[in-house]
Amino acid sequence: MKLEDARQCIEKIWVLCLKDMKLYYFKGPTMVMGILMPLFLWLAFVVGKGISFTESIPALIALSSFFTSSSITPIIMPWEARQKTLEMLLSRPVTLYSILLGTALASSLFGIFISFLLVIIGILVNVIPCNPTLLALGIVIASTCYSFMGLLFSAIPSDIPADAVMLSSAVRLPLVFISGIFIPIQNLPEYLKPLAFISPLTYFSDLINNTYSQNSIFDPIIDVIVLISLTVMLAITALTLNKRTLTKRL
Amino acid sequence: MEAIVEACDLVKSFGDVRAVDGVSFSVKRGEIYGLLGPNGAGKTTTVRMVTGIIAPDSGEAYIMGYNVHDDPVRARSFIGVVPEISNPYLDLNAWENLMIVGSLYCIPKTVREKRAEMLLKMLGIYKERSRKVKGFSKGMRRRLLLAMALISDPDILFLDEPTSGLDVMSARMIRSLILKMKERGKTIILTTHNIDEAGMLCDRVAIMNKGKIIAAGTPEDLKIKFGEYTRILLCFSREIDAKLVEKYLRDYETIFQGKRVTVICRSNDLSDVLDKIVNIVKACNVCLEEIQASGLSFEDIFVRLIQERKNET
Repeated sequence: MKLEDARQCIEKIWVLCLKDMKLYYFKGPTMVMGILMPLFLWLAFVVGKGISFTESIPALIALSSFFTSSSITPIIMPWEARQKTLEMLLSRPVTLYSILLGTALASSLFGIFISFLLVIIGILVNVIPCNPTLLALGIVIASTCYSFMGLLFSAIPSDIPADAVMLSSAVRLPLVFISGIFIPIQNLPEYLKPLAFISPLTYFSDLINNTYSQNSIFDPIIDVIVLISLTVMLAITALTLNKRTLTKRL
Repeated sequence: MEAIVEACDLVKSFGDVRAVDGVSFSVKRGEIYGLLGPNGAGKTTTVRMVTGIIAPDSGEAYIMGYNVHDDPVRARSFIGVVPEISNPYLDLNAWENLMIVGSLYCIPKTVREKRAEMLLKMLGIYKERSRKVKGFSKGMRRRLLLAMALISDPDILFLDEPTSGLDVMSARMIRSLILKMKERGKTIILTTHNIDEAGMLCDRVAIMNKGKIIAAGTPEDLKIKFGEYTRILLCFSREIDAKLVEKYLRDYETIFQGKRVTVICRSNDLSDVLDKIVNIVKACNVCLEEIQASGLSFEDIFVRLIQERKNET
């Protein structure tokens, strides 16, 4: 009976994930923004600074995974609360956790899809990863981690999506600068280094550097372990906080 | 008959406002149970607690014996809900909305497709199934919500103000559907502030005001309870001085509507009030064009109960 319950729960999470994909991700503007935002950020740092395409494509993949996985998740819960569709879902036989996990899954899959697209484009222009398995594993874990990070921002007790977007931008944009993507961590001012070590982007960026150029600060195993730990931590915090703020939303 | 929905001493506050204050009721299988009350009486909050959408501050709710808050998934698998403030997904079409909801009840694809087709045809929106819901009128959205509530063929239906804001035809259609559901053995919990609707549809009603149930029973029971009251409707040839009428009829409750005056007497002996009415006619020198005496309607009872509660506080 317990096994049947678990199967049904997974089935419902998948249904909710497909619903989110259809409503929020499989749309022209979202797809374009998912690629354009990290692309322009990447171009701003790369163009005219003598950095080769080969050297910089890992940064683009790290940025894409980070932005695409965490950009839509913060707005889904406030938006659905505002549209009163959240209440409609909650009157069905699903838990809030299933709804949240469906949202996180859709976001992770979107991040994974865009990141792999860039890996393939890289391969086509002869930027080939040395360790494809580790790269694939890193993309999957990092996208999941960032989608839970986005879900954490959605716990803001407001049904105004712009509030969640503001909070998420205020945290995500500074992280790009301290996570070793464009400025190596060794070159950061001393007071920023502790922040770099708690940023989930640092470990994925380091892992990607390892898989493309074997030039990394940490051992890839450490990157993977830290990313998994951060994912679990962010997931628990996001689910708990969202549950706590639900009453204020409805 | 067994009670399949039970609310036990439910309490819910929002800040300093106590929205629901110790509400208890039970609904038997196959019944239409009405929660009736003015806006802000606590009907919707009660339904949201009984369906597990929000948690009560204290008290418990059971559906088919399952505690709604300890086992919400199991409890909600027996119910279909049409919340008052709820929406289908506007960027999806009617069919997609139904398929999503059907999947959340784990209904096999072929069964849910068959049911969706039948429900959309029955509710008259089958031809619109591929249209995005944002293009639907309020009535069509309400019908779609009803189809979404019925897709799992639930034993119990919660309808929160199902006809609120609908045109006469749509409201009539939904009412006839509610009666059809009852014929099919469904249990229906209905909230409404439409007294006629409750009187027409409900087997039993609970009248709520300020978060409390102030009276409960069948509409007929309530009429009998207030049976000693008589309602006299007077229609004068012109508008008369309210102060003068109040002077003569100070022992009675009066309601003025232009030339029409309604007098409520707590007695079946009308000789005293009729004497006073004759005096009013003489004093005002008006013609009494029409006089009607009847027992209280369900609406009168409702208004009296709310008024009595207001006076008490």
